[in-house]
Amino acid sequence: MKGRLVALSIPGIVTPGVLWAAESAKKVVDPVENWNHLWNEVLIDLFIMGTVFSVLAIHWLIKYKATSPDQVGRGPKLTRAQSWAWAMVPAFIFMADDFFLAAKGWTVWNIYRNVPDNAYEIKVTGNMWYWQFEYPNGVTTTYSYDTKEGDGLMVPVGTPVVLRMTSNDVIHSFGLPAYRVKEDVMPGRVTYIWFNPLEEKQTWVTCVEFCGVLHSQMYAPVKAVPRAKFDEWLQKKKSTT
Amino acid sequence: MSTESHGFNLREWIFTTDHKRIGVLYLIGSIAAFSVAGIQALMIRIEQSSLGPTLVHDVATGGNQYNVWLYFHGAAMILGFLIPGLTGFAANYFLPLMIGAKDVAFPRVNAFSVWLFYAGIVMALLTFVVGDPPDVMWTGYPPYSVLTSGNTAFYVFTVHLLGFASILGAVNFLVTVIYMRAPGMGWNQLNMFVWSTVTAFVIQLVFVPVLASAVTMLLFDKYLGTHFFDPANGGDVLLYQNLFWFYSHPAVYVILLPALGILYEVVATSAKNMIFNYKAAVYGGMWGIVLISGEVWIHHLYIAGMPNWIRIGMMVSTLLISVPVGLLTISLFGTLFRGAITYTIQMKYAAACLFLFLIGGLTGIPLAMTVMTTHLSETSFVHAHFHYIMGIFSTFAVFAAVYYWFPKMTGKLAGEKLGNLGFWFNFIGVNVTFMPLFIIGVQGMPRRYWNYEMFPQFEPFHKVALLGAILVAIGMGMTILNWVISAISGEKSPANPWKSASLEWTDCANPPGPGNFTKDVVIKPEWTPYNYV
Amino acid sequence: MSHSTTEHAHHWETSWAPMILTMGLLFLVPLTFSAYFVYQNQLYATVFAGIGTPLVLIGIAKWVSEGLTQKPLLAGVSPSALPVFIISEVFIFLGLFSAYWTMRLSAGDHWPPAGTPEHFNLVLPVIMTIILVGSSLTFHVAEEKLEHGDLGGFRSWLLLTMILGLAFLGCTIYEYDHLIHAGFKPSTNAYSTAFFSITGFHASHVIVGLGIFISVLLPALAGKTNKYFTFCAGLYWHFVDVVWFFVASQVYYW
Ligand code: HEA
Ligand code: HEA
Ligand code: CUA
Ligand SMILES: [Cu+2]
Repeated sequence: MKGRLVALSIPGIVTPGVLWAAESAKKVVDPVENWNHLWNEVLIDLFIMGTVFSVLAIHWLIKYKATSPDQVGRGPKLTRAQSWAWAMVPAFIFMADDFFLAAKGWTVWNIYRNVPDNAYEIKVTGNMWYWQFEYPNGVTTTYSYDTKEGDGLMVPVGTPVVLRMTSNDVIHSFGLPAYRVKEDVMPGRVTYIWFNPLEEKQTWVTCVEFCGVLHSQMYAPVKAVPRAKFDEWLQKKKSTT
Repeated sequence: MSTESHGFNLREWIFTTDHKRIGVLYLIGSIAAFSVAGIQALMIRIEQSSLGPTLVHDVATGGNQYNVWLYFHGAAMILGFLIPGLTGFAANYFLPLMIGAKDVAFPRVNAFSVWLFYAGIVMALLTFVVGDPPDVMWTGYPPYSVLTSGNTAFYVFTVHLLGFASILGAVNFLVTVIYMRAPGMGWNQLNMFVWSTVTAFVIQLVFVPVLASAVTMLLFDKYLGTHFFDPANGGDVLLYQNLFWFYSHPAVYVILLPALGILYEVVATSAKNMIFNYKAAVYGGMWGIVLISGEVWIHHLYIAGMPNWIRIGMMVSTLLISVPVGLLTISLFGTLFRGAITYTIQMKYAAACLFLFLIGGLTGIPLAMTVMTTHLSETSFVHAHFHYIMGIFSTFAVFAAVYYWFPKMTGKLAGEKLGNLGFWFNFIGVNVTFMPLFIIGVQGMPRRYWNYEMFPQFEPFHKVALLGAILVAIGMGMTILNWVISAISGEKSPANPWKSASLEWTDCANPPGPGNFTKDVVIKPEWTPYNYV
Repeated sequence: MSHSTTEHAHHWETSWAPMILTMGLLFLVPLTFSAYFVYQNQLYATVFAGIGTPLVLIGIAKWVSEGLTQKPLLAGVSPSALPVFIISEVFIFLGLFSAYWTMRLSAGDHWPPAGTPEHFNLVLPVIMTIILVGSSLTFHVAEEKLEHGDLGGFRSWLLLTMILGLAFLGCTIYEYDHLIHAGFKPSTNAYSTAFFSITGFHASHVIVGLGIFISVLLPALAGKTNKYFTFCAGLYWHFVDVVWFFVASQVYYW
């Protein structure tokens, strides 16, 4: 029993590598879709775990209500073997589940960490309390929560975007809920995230590492626009500065 | 023969070195911290109930007020309420009684601990007195905590004082359990609560000092100009986070373990049943947690750009915590099996806890997966996770403890009516408060945000959460009031109202006098604290 | 498990020492520090220190005298408790050292960083090591004397130990003074940060150790000793000694 469960968990460790190799052979990778898919699987997994325990608990809580004040419990006294079995069997089942989740998670994580070769690079700088974005041609943009003015982050639809991020003062964090990515932005270090804007839409980046008084005002729009419009905007920006 | 004391003597209380009275002092202090921090929680909920400024003055400075509430709420709830409530109050009062000891090994050190705890509470409360209160959150990350104009020193000293109290407590109780068990009491005859506090104290002993060193460096950086966390001068920005979580993750088990220990006592006594698979729960579950808890802290730094090799290791070890916790779950749930359950108030809290624990614990699993956290970290999903397991589950465990041992501490029975009413308000209220936070968390509601004008779609959820918080506040108010009223004018309790088989009920008075036991306790080899036949 | 007295307490035990000591500590450390460094108010700092210091001294004196005169609930456990406490001390040092290691290892070839004096005095630490090891030995002799009932010998050897401890502190002060004059302050660079924090933290342990020795010596002058208390004082001192090997080898010679 023990041996078989261990054996079962080995493919759980090996498969992600294979899966990932197959995954990266595909053309368009959408981290968001992968994330959502995994999230559903995790929810089902946890739901099953939770339900098994809850149903048992409810059942017993009702069934074993004392009928008289002097009644005492008759819980089973485990033999040595039973008590080992009740420890080892669940332990291996839980472990198998853990390795399953770890492997699944790591597969998707690799997608998140491997930036596609054709990614468009934008530099991000965190300041107390605003974001600054610098495009390859030197154009920079920001956004002010106060006046609600500024372009924020503009990205072209259909091209993966990689952000190289650093901070001028304290730790901030670049959180982009719509694209399921988030990474801290720190002084003295450069971190990165990438995402794939597949359709035209406007979302928000929020600073999600506590950074002081205006922490919750440190947000900016993220606009994904068609490539042509994006190039046009960038050109115009370049010529006006 | 009777060791009843004669009336109330303030001097004897303040200067006491008796573990029971020190336990009561801990309880009073931690409930006070809970009440003040709970009121801050209400302010937070009211503030978030509408998009723009609600309680705060205006957008430009409002953050300051909100951040101070949130700082106090987080720091006081964890460091001032739960840890002292569980390892201070409950362990102090009941651990020596359960092992048949007259007191702890070092009664004066014990008194020293409780006053250090009060000094820590004073430092924390100074937040509301000074003009530049600490605004660094309970995590206190530099460089912000070094650069802020807020008073980070108060944060540091609060941690120092409470931490020193914990370390001394740990030494004291570990020595007590090793040397002062009643003659004949073997390791497998200890109460689950005793084991759970022993393991919690082992964690405190090893990890608190690291936190102390981390905040000390913070103090030096801010006020003496050193460069521990300053990357421009050769320091490391993430060093503090690593040291902080090296302690603060294990700290969650300092809360979880005694909370589970209490539930074991309550469930076993209410179901008049023996513990299901005692040895697996103690040696696999509790010691398993101690073993793994120090190797998982990176799961709080997933979004801080850690290298992959350490990330994958700690992801696996974090997930593996579900194995020892799972063994404890099986053993706790199994204790209901073929029991004879009586539904007292404490058992209602305990039953509620079983579900709160599943919700809170299982939602830790996605957080433990690196890739899930890239989205979920720093959102209210995390809030909902830890409020379920800590803010509710562990808090309910403290309440269960107070109800369960109320007759022991006061000699009176706690009022049923108000107690039950309070329970239902609490139980419904917490779910109404924190369920919505799961939902908006997955949709990206950021943490520590009083202003979420970019996400107006979340407003209704925050309104529901406010409603829940009000229910909880009513329930908590009733509960605390109930204790005060019952302690003063409650009905006299029988000697062993729940018919427990554990030493603190069978062998000493309500409340026990000086020296606890009227005759020496000697343990027979076949005795266990859960022997109901 | 070894306690089986048949008499039972009939009154509530009290002691005001712990509470007074805590109040003193609250004034002396957090409040004085905050007044001085956070609010730059020397008047308040002086007042707080003025309140705190006597309270701490009174608290300790009372505590020690109770410890020496009253019968403990369970005698002889402190020699097991102190090592447990030392475990947590070890972890504080580990925290500081891990900070040093991180800074040091991430600096690569840029170590020592700019601002560090060219010629660090590497002879002094050897002398300090000899002094500290010597003091551990002299204390050992003192304990030996006490065991053989030679109270006079005990006092003299204890005094010698304390003089060595003071000499060690003197060396530290001399060294700090020198370095600060050479422009090497805690705020100079990453190395000075680690250097002053670690050696300073160690020195603070030497001071605490000397404080414990005073609490052993003063009653001993009046003829009162307790072998467990003495043992613990010695154990602590040996621990401080052992830590010094790590401090010296890591901070000076690495
Ligand atoms: C009492 C307190 C407590 C406890 C017990 C836990 C328990 C757990 N926590 Fe939680 N946690 C906190 C308090 C606590 N936590 C706090 C305060 C924070 C936020 C700090 C801050 O940033 O301010 C936090 C944050 C936090 C994070 C970081 C999120 C982020 O900021 O990005 C993570 C990530 O891994 C995490 C994971 C876990 C896990 C895996 C457990 C596990 O121990 C849970 C184990 C339990 C179960 C799994 C359920 C029962 C088991 C079974 C039914 C067996 C079968 C199950 C399986 C096989 C899956 N927690
Ligand atoms: C033990 C831990 C604990 C407990 C019990 C609670 C309890 C509660 N918490 Fe808290 N919470 C934390 C620990 C805890 N919390 C932590 C660690 C954080 C993170 C901080 C950070 O980000 O740094 C946090 C953050 C946090 C936030 C996040 C805010 C943000 O990020 O922007 C919110 C928001 O809803 C919240 C709400 C609540 C509510 C409504 C309760 C309610 O359950 C409270 C109910 C209690 C009362 C309402 C008090 C009742 C008492 C009385 C009414 C007084 C009666 C008096 C007498 C009779 C004398 N908490
Ligand atoms: Cu920047 Cu929060
Ligand atoms: Cu954790």
